[in-house]
Amino acid sequence: MSLLRLRRASLSYPAGGGGSVEVLRDVSLTIRRGEFVTVLGRSGAGKTSLLNLAAGFVAPSSGAVEVDGRPVSGPGADRAVVFQNDALLPWLDAAENVAFPLRLKGVGRAARLERAARLFRLVGLEGHERKNLWELSGGQRQRLGIARAIAAEPEFLLMDEPLGALDAMTRDRMQELLLKVWRASGAGALLITHSVEEALFLGTRVVVMEPHPGRIGLEEPLDFSSRFLEGASARALKAEPAFIAARERLIAAIHVEETALS
Amino acid sequence: MTISATNPPEREASRPRGRAGGALSSAFLKRLPIFAALFTLTAIFGLWQIASARGWAPPVFLPSPERVWKAARTAMEVGYANATLGQHAAASLGRVMAALLATLLIAVPVGFVLALSPVGRGLLDPIIEFIRPLPPLAYLPLVIIWFGIGEGSKILVISVAMFAPIAISTAFGVGSASESQIRAARSFGASRIQTLRHVLLPAALPSILSGVRIALGAGWTTLVASELVAASRGLGYMIQSAAQFLVTDMVIVGILAISLFAFGFEILFRLVERFWSPWSRRR
Repeated sequence: MSLLRLRRASLSYPAGGGGSVEVLRDVSLTIRRGEFVTVLGRSGAGKTSLLNLAAGFVAPSSGAVEVDGRPVSGPGADRAVVFQNDALLPWLDAAENVAFPLRLKGVGRAARLERAARLFRLVGLEGHERKNLWELSGGQRQRLGIARAIAAEPEFLLMDEPLGALDAMTRDRMQELLLKVWRASGAGALLITHSVEEALFLGTRVVVMEPHPGRIGLEEPLDFSSRFLEGASARALKAEPAFIAARERLIAAIHVEETALS
Repeated sequence: MTISATNPPEREASRPRGRAGGALSSAFLKRLPIFAALFTLTAIFGLWQIASARGWAPPVFLPSPERVWKAARTAMEVGYANATLGQHAAASLGRVMAALLATLLIAVPVGFVLALSPVGRGLLDPIIEFIRPLPPLAYLPLVIIWFGIGEGSKILVISVAMFAPIAISTAFGVGSASESQIRAARSFGASRIQTLRHVLLPAALPSILSGVRIALGAGWTTLVASELVAASRGLGYMIQSAAQFLVTDMVIVGILAISLFAFGFEILFRLVERFWSPWSRRR
């Protein structure tokens, strides 16, 4: 069983005047394969920095980031990232974008396009394989971004507000799609979001971060996503008293510091 | 229900009329710049014809279009200054192309260094900013002193003129790859070389192509200067030989040949750009 673990990881950047800005302090977090951890927090709480550490884009100033006990030394194919603004490559068509991680591994054209076709079915984009990116909608492009990350066959899927730029209707449908794709891939997921509902619905566990410096304030297990995957309706789940209560509790947790200031 | 049932036919009935009327005028408006350009060309040619026919200037200064055409045919069929027009053109074209290839080999990697390494940028910037504004005629004598009067010197002079445009537009193009494109690729296991090959280079390609277009312009500009000394062939050499004997019609033939080649390459590279990187204009 694979394990992505941050152990008392801190992160500071040098600032003007010889000082430094502390972005994260003593963050400890464990993500197992098959888990879906959602991260909430106000802007500046270090959510993206947390993801950058997990992905290996930056190294912790102190503490450690480990996969199965081995320290992470940089980005790697075991931790695929999905960004909010689509990080797709416009000079490739839709299918070659999804197949891009396979191309990096040296998989031949026929084989990688065949694998891509399966992923197109998984994200409901069959028939769009040969289209150019500018012929697709924002929601379709985001689905490509997710399919592409899955194509890398990662142990962990790291997502920085992947649905943030979508309209509300598309976003709801994409949440359900994301859960199915995640379940099918068996990967561990880390998803950063501003939407409390999204965090509650998608996560098997939710983490709330507090700012100045960024640290983990609250961590709670959730069961809405597993119940959705067992057949419960998304709208019914989101209307449950338990869901609403959890939502209010998290909103209060996110804004606790704000109210203390005012 | 009734609204949605009656609406589409109405719309369909009104649309073709509007589209047909709009298409005619918009097609005309779209081509208007081309018509204007053709007008300018015709006007200049007409003015030239009238000026030479009326004798506004003596033929040695302004030969008639017929005499230029005759000179062109002589140059093509018999030759002028030791070679036919085709051979002169081939010599010049060869120099410009050799210079372009040599420059690409050096300037594209330099552009990558400029974009990716702050230290490299610091090291190379003074050189590029030193070369960039220099007129070719200013460094031509130095190149001859250092490297002699051979073919290499001519190509070098043209290369120097092409270097800055290609290096700078490559650097700009490399910078146009977004941080998230690069990071996503790295998270799929792309090595640094693979990121360069599969993300940075394709992202830079449209800019490199426009850099080549600008560089070719600079190359043609420099051609005549490079053929000033000890050339025995080339359009620039032909122009200068003709000028020494006041064979003005042949001078004009040479000028028109250069401008035709330059224009042809401009069009060619625009087509290549459109074909190779249609995405760059869609973002």
